[in-house]
Amino acid sequence: MIVRRCIRLGLGLSILLTTAAGCSDADLTGPIVYEEQPAMSREVEGKAHLAGKPRIQEKARKTLARLYGPSPKEIHVPEGAPLSKDEQGRLGVLLANHVQTAQGPEKLPHAGGYGLYRRHCLHCHGVSGAGDGPTAPFLFPLPRDFRRGLFKFTSTPNGARPERDDLRRTIRDGLHGTSMPAFEALLTKKEIEQVVDYVTFLSLRGETELALIEEGFIADDEDEDALEDDIVDELVQSVFGKWEDAADTVVDPPVPRTPPSPESVARGRELFLGRTKEKLECAGCHGAKGLGDGPSFVDVDVFNRVVFGGDPSKMPERVAKLDEKARELWKQKLDEWGNPLRPANLSRAVYKGGRRPIDLYWRIAKGITGAQMPAHYPGIDHAQIWDLVNFVLALPYQPELLDDAPAPAAAEGVAADAPAVRR
Amino acid sequence: MRYWSLIFALAAVFSVGAFAYAPFSADWWLPNPAGEPYHSVSTFGREIDALFLIILVLTGAVFIGTQAALVWAQFRYADRIGEDGLPVRPAQYFHGSQRLEVIWTVIPAGILVFLALYQMDTWAKIKFRSASPRTPVLAEVTGRQFQWAMKYPGPDGRLGTPDDLFTVNDLHLVKDQTALIHLKSADVIHSFFLPQMRIKQDAVPGMAIPVWFDCDRAGRFELACAELCGWGHYKMRGDVVVHETEAEFQAWQAAKLAEQGRSQIAGADEPEGDDR
Repeated sequence: MIVRRCIRLGLGLSILLTTAAGCSDADLTGPIVYEEQPAMSREVEGKAHLAGKPRIQEKARKTLARLYGPSPKEIHVPEGAPLSKDEQGRLGVLLANHVQTAQGPEKLPHAGGYGLYRRHCLHCHGVSGAGDGPTAPFLFPLPRDFRRGLFKFTSTPNGARPERDDLRRTIRDGLHGTSMPAFEALLTKKEIEQVVDYVTFLSLRGETELALIEEGFIADDEDEDALEDDIVDELVQSVFGKWEDAADTVVDPPVPRTPPSPESVARGRELFLGRTKEKLECAGCHGAKGLGDGPSFVDVDVFNRVVFGGDPSKMPERVAKLDEKARELWKQKLDEWGNPLRPANLSRAVYKGGRRPIDLYWRIAKGITGAQMPAHYPGIDHAQIWDLVNFVLALPYQPELLDDAPAPAAAEGVAADAPAVRR
Repeated sequence: MRYWSLIFALAAVFSVGAFAYAPFSADWWLPNPAGEPYHSVSTFGREIDALFLIILVLTGAVFIGTQAALVWAQFRYADRIGEDGLPVRPAQYFHGSQRLEVIWTVIPAGILVFLALYQMDTWAKIKFRSASPRTPVLAEVTGRQFQWAMKYPGPDGRLGTPDDLFTVNDLHLVKDQTALIHLKSADVIHSFFLPQMRIKQDAVPGMAIPVWFDCDRAGRFELACAELCGWGHYKMRGDVVVHETEAEFQAWQAAKLAEQGRSQIAGADEPEGDDR
């Protein structure tokens, strides 16, 4: 009897205590730390790296921790960083929920960029913004790696840093046709500003890290003066400078959109098919029917087999199995981050960078940063760009526009004669 | 040992307390607009709430009855051991009681049949395609991992034309007008859930499901996904804005369409919208 009671008591207590102790995932996640660029300590083919330079590595790490803080939980903001200020003129306070003052930590009236990023963005974009969060491998296209400061859908020239409004728009509206959701209903305007600041912060940090690696790559490990403070200052200022310049380089179409008349659409169609003297190669990638299946890219079926045909981490093995021609084409058509690309299917009315005419103008006029879409201005003039925009916007509703276009096989023949297709 | 029954009594008292208290707390009661905790904003909502109340009363009464019987039996028939170490009252075994079993089968069956018949009319009004209103479609709503993409027909009232308006997680309708949407899914099964309007409908890939509802209060309401659809399920939250008048809705749509037609950053003349 007593034994049974003891068992019962023990069972009851253990259930009670388990509930009281609550659940904690602390033992599952470990501390949250910034991840280093592989080039910091390993040899990376064709890129600057710090392999075999322990002293410079150490200096680079210390510099990074001094400038941006040692871990995501302790953020330092270098002077002059292109981040928001609060009413008191304090720089970077949107990043956190506390600020360190002479009197000790002061609580701020908001969740802060880091907290919001950790909740909403980190699972895809990763702790250091490398696009390597736990849910990232399941996605196509892969989440952006912020650490190079490059973003695809911007209002600034190709290769330039994004303007603040570009990041704001991406977070607010999402990127259609990708896994980036719209956060307008999930975050307030103020919270979106905090996230924009944090994304900018991660980009600045990542760019500085890359700049340090490049600088260290050409320095001698024995050199005491390598990565000295004034050199680092210069590097950081050049990183900041690019972001500060972005606002002045925003492209605003100088002429308003041509009204989308049938004539304008027809002119856009001729441009698309490369029948004007500018000989545009749109169909080479986007396909003669605009289905995103042009001959300059790997065949859609092959692409689907490689990208979606199994374990994402085994993609390189599937690429290796392609025949030589397809493999070569595959290598040429990666984006700046080394990820596979697909030209847009223009018949679906899904536009990653937005469907406003101005968005399409930007995509056509200045191309897509880091992707294969080239800038077309000044190759064609503003009016021609608007004709193309009108054509692209009309195509999903009037697929017959491309009905008599040459079939893909014929287009391939054309492409073979046109070396520009194989950029 | 008979005091063990008090633990069961306590659990029953807590449960009964919870549902007895719920109507007096806006947080515990059904999701209704702030300030009007007992007003259900949609026609269907009021019907569903009435059904809900009937079920709550029925199950509440049955719950109280069965719990009382349970506690009483535990208390009354708890084992007692006499001074000689033997049970005071020996256990009695009997093989079932047909009368009892018939009673406790027939009563719940009767209740269930009553509910099944009683709710049929409401179900038909909300879910049967034949009952769908003959109004123009307000929007096509497509669930995808992880957001709700809305497509409004725009000024010409037809979907699939160049003047369609596209929004994400942003559903707008007009007060006191029945809103008809076509619900689709681009990937997996989602569930379109308007808690304040008591509307819940799965979005099934490959199907366009008509869903209709109304709202008699202007303001901002919630849209959520009620079917676990993947790791980002919680992100599928949207705003539902109910406009006071049709004119207000049209003004919102016009402003959105102007932005969707933007061709220069600011100040420039907007070209005429696509009216072809």
